Amino acid sequence: MPLRILVADDHPVVRHGLRTLLGRHDDWEIVDEAQDGVEAVEKADRLRPDVVVLDLSMPRMNGLEACRLIRKNVPESEILIVTQHNSPQMVREAFNADARGYVVKSEVGRDLVAAVDAVSQHRSFGRL
Amino acid sequence: MKLRILIADDHELVRRGLAALLQSHEGWEICAEAKDGREAVDKARQHKPDVVILDVGMPNLNGLAATRQLMQQEPELKVIVLTITDSDQVIREALDAGARGFVLKSDAARDLVTAVEAVQRNRMFFTPRVNDMVLAGFLDRRENTGTTESPKLPKLTPREREVIQLLAEGKSSKEVASLLNLSTKTAETHRSNIMRKLGIHSIRDLVVYAVKNDIIQVQVPSRTTAEGPAA
Repeated sequence: MPLRILVADDHPVVRHGLRTLLGRHDDWEIVDEAQDGVEAVEKADRLRPDVVVLDLSMPRMNGLEACRLIRKNVPESEILIVTQHNSPQMVREAFNADARGYVVKSEVGRDLVAAVDAVSQHRSFGRL
Repeated sequence: MKLRILIADDHELVRRGLAALLQSHEGWEICAEAKDGREAVDKARQHKPDVVILDVGMPNLNGLAATRQLMQQEPELKVIVLTITDSDQVIREALDAGARGFVLKSDAARDLVTAVEAVQRNRMFFTPRVNDMVLAGFLDRRENTGTTESPKLPKLTPREREVIQLLAEGKSSKEVASLLNLSTKTAETHRSNIMRKLGIHSIRDLVVYAVKNDIIQVQVPSRTTAEGPAA
């Protein structure tokens, strides 16, 4: 069974980029994309992905709020935050919101695949 | 022969996304990628692209300063500027620098292919969200004054624009000198000239000026709201 991933980011170009990077892995499938937090929560409810790759700064509902809701509604979905924000406070807030992993966008080339791999096995990824 | 495109953005995710978008177009190839404006200028010299797509907000040398250098290096080159802001000043500076296209990053998935097609046919392209009136205002002003220079900005030389960005990014005069292959003394002279021209007396004021004038872009985390800064 492929690993099923939902990608949520408000920038279509970034979603393309995430698709390209994650698509290199044979056993991973992007089941859908969301362009804001509300859509991410709805699609996670409906599709029940293994991993949700979630941006923090999104319209309608930000990533932290979406993270809390997805973890509450679909506890089997693990959340990987992928964001440009790299302050320790943000990392802490993400983990407090029950995210399993945290990757800064500038480091995706190095960290994204390893992070998805880790959180899919319910292991944490990122600094606390 | 394929259309050769160089893409420059400091975010790998954006470069991957742009590459995926453009490579799906038959007859186009990505000949090189760059992480900042300086690398874009160097790689354009090596790889001779037909089109360069440049993010405005890049470290070391921003996209507007890079556009000026690229156009000086190869006047026939078609440069498309990508930006997160549709501010009047950025648009004006991009046009002034010689860009043939202007695309908002948020619209890039929809507009970038059309923009490349346009510049390929020697036309210009502006993302629809760039307000027509801003453009009309710019053109009017140019007709009236005979210049494209923003009246708000003191005249800085291209070298001074490079120096101000590096200083605003926190680099010392010595680091500026090393990056630009200058002596430390020359870098310090540029620094004094910039401060004199701008009428400012501290690096803090210089940073404020650089932010206000889109020479560097600062992204502030938004904890509770949805305001999405750059990709």
